Amino acid sequence: MSELFVQLLLNGLINGCLYALVAAGYALIYNTTRVFHVAHGVAYTAGAYLSFYFLVRLGWPLWASVVGAILLSGVLGASMEWFLYAPLARRRSSLLVAFLSSLGFYTAAINIVALVFGNETQVLRAGVSGTITFGGVIVTKIQMAQALVAGLVVAALLLGLGRSRWGRIIRAVRDNPELASVMGINLFAIRTAVFAAGSSLAALAAVLSALDVGMDPHIGMPALLTAAVALIIGGIGTFGGPVLGGLLLGLVQALVVWQISARWTEAVTFAVLILFLVFRPYGLLSRRQRLEEQAA
Amino acid sequence: MNYLWHIVNMAGIYAILAMSLNLAAGYTGLLSLCHAAFYGLGAYTATLVMVDVGFDFLPALACALIVTALLSLMIALPSLRLRGDYFVLATLGFQIIVFSVLYNWVGLTRGPYGISGIPVPKFFGLEVDSVAKYALFTAVVGGLGLGVLWLLAHSPFGRLLRAVRDDELAAAALGKNVTHVKTIAFVLSACFAAIPGALFAGYMRYIDPTSFTLTESIFIISMVVIGGAGNFAGPAIGAVLLVLLPEALRFLHVPDSVAANLRQVVYGILLILLMRFRPQGLIGEYDFE
Repeated sequence: MSELFVQLLLNGLINGCLYALVAAGYALIYNTTRVFHVAHGVAYTAGAYLSFYFLVRLGWPLWASVVGAILLSGVLGASMEWFLYAPLARRRSSLLVAFLSSLGFYTAAINIVALVFGNETQVLRAGVSGTITFGGVIVTKIQMAQALVAGLVVAALLLGLGRSRWGRIIRAVRDNPELASVMGINLFAIRTAVFAAGSSLAALAAVLSALDVGMDPHIGMPALLTAAVALIIGGIGTFGGPVLGGLLLGLVQALVVWQISARWTEAVTFAVLILFLVFRPYGLLSRRQRLEEQAA
Repeated sequence: MNYLWHIVNMAGIYAILAMSLNLAAGYTGLLSLCHAAFYGLGAYTATLVMVDVGFDFLPALACALIVTALLSLMIALPSLRLRGDYFVLATLGFQIIVFSVLYNWVGLTRGPYGISGIPVPKFFGLEVDSVAKYALFTAVVGGLGLGVLWLLAHSPFGRLLRAVRDDELAAAALGKNVTHVKTIAFVLSACFAAIPGALFAGYMRYIDPTSFTLTESIFIISMVVIGGAGNFAGPAIGAVLLVLLPEALRFLHVPDSVAANLRQVVYGILLILLMRFRPQGLIGEYDFE
C-alpha cells in the first residue's frame, strides 16, 4: 500500500500546485472586483492554445512560446475588463448580470477556439522527457517543473501582495473600493491590472498542465471550477486561502483515485464544496466579512 | 413534413423547460445552474420506470415528478441558505454531481451507453407513434403543466414570489417566511422540469447523460434570459428562437461539423449583448439587477 499511496499523494500534491496557481489568479480577480468570472476559463484555454500555436505551428522556441502565451493572455484578461465588465460596473449592475455576460463570453470564446483548432485533443511536446526516481516513487521532469514553477510564482505573488506598495493598493480595493477611490486610487486601472495578472497566471498554469496532458478547447471550465471551489474552501477575501484550498483539492482527488475511482473526482470536489458551503461558508482562513457579503 | 413536426416537438419541450426555470429564476430571482439536472432526473426516472418496471407513460411521469421533487428538496435545503453568487455556485456543484452520477452509476443508469428501447407512450389507450401525434401529445401534457404554472404565477403565491425577488427584507418584514417561499418555488420549478424530461425521453426513445450537462443548463438559462425573465411568455419565445436558430444555420449551408460550435458562438454573443444593452431580454419584466 505505502509506495502506491505515497506516489498518488505526490501526484495529488503536484496537481494541487497547479490548482493553487489558477486559484491564486482567480482570487486576485474575485477578491478585488467581486465578479464571478467564468471567463477565467477562457484565459486558461487561451494560454494553452496560444503556446501550442507558437510552439507547434510557428516553431518558436519553448521559452518564447510560453512568454508570448502568458503576455497575450494578460492582454485578453485586460480586454475582458474593458469590453465586458467595466461598462457593467460603471452602470452598477448586479453580480448576476456580470455573471451572465461572463458565461456568454465563455461560451462564445471556447467555441471560437474549437472552430479554429478543432474539438480534438492536441499535444504540446516540448522535448522535455524522462523521470527521476526517489526510492520507489517516480516523478517525471515535467511534473518537477510544474511543482517548481507553480510554487515559486505563487510564493512570489503572495509575498508581493503582502509586502509591496502594489499589494497594499490591491488589498485596499479589496477591502473597500469606494474608500480606495476616494483616496485617489484609479479603480478601473487597478481592476484592469488585476484581470491581466490573474489571466496570465491562469495561462501559465494551462501551459504547465498542457505540457503533460495536452489540451482540448474545454479544459478551461474544469480549471475555473476547481479554482472557484478552492477559493471558497480556502476563504473568500484571502489570498493564501485559495492556495491552500487548491493544494487540499489536489490531495483529496488523489485520495479519491486511490480509494474509489478516478471517475468520481469531479463529483467529490463539488461534494467538498457543498460541505464547506453548509458547515464553514467562510472557508479555512476566515476573515470576518460585512454582513451583506457573507454566504449565509 | 416530419422535419417540421420534429422542430415543433423540440420547441415545445424546450419551451416548457424554459418556462419551468422561469418560475425560479424569473419570478423568484433564484438563478439556478442545475436545471438540466432536474430535466435529466425527470427523463431518467420516467425511463427507468417505463423500461425496467413496465409502467405506462403517465404513471411514469408521476414517479418522475415525485423523485424530482424529493431530490430537488434535498438540493434546495443547503443551497437556499446561501445568497447571490454562492447560491449559483452551489447549484453548479449539484449539476456536476448529478451528471456524474448519471454518467458513472452504470449499474442503475447504464452510464455512457444510455438507455434505449423506451416504449412508445400510450395516452388513454392511444399509441403516440408518429412525430405529428407526438407534437399534439407534447402540447396536451405540456399545456396541462403550463396551465398549472400560469395559475401559480398569477395567484397570490406568484405575487409573493415577486415580492421576495424584488425585496427580500421587505417581504420578511411583512411576516413572510422567505426561505420557505424560496424552497417551494425551487422545488416546483424542478418538478415542472421533470415534465419535459419525461416527454423528451418518450420522444427520442433513447437517452444518455450527454443531454443533461452543464452546457445544457446554460442553454436553458440563455432561453430564459433572451426571451425575458419574469414574464410568462418570454422564456417560450426564447426557447423557440434558440431552437429555430440552428435550423436557420442549416439553410445557410453551414457544414454540420462547424454548425454545432457556431451555434454556441451565436448564443454566447447574444447573451453578452443582451446583458449589456437589454438585460430584461426581449419582452421580460425582470433584469437581474
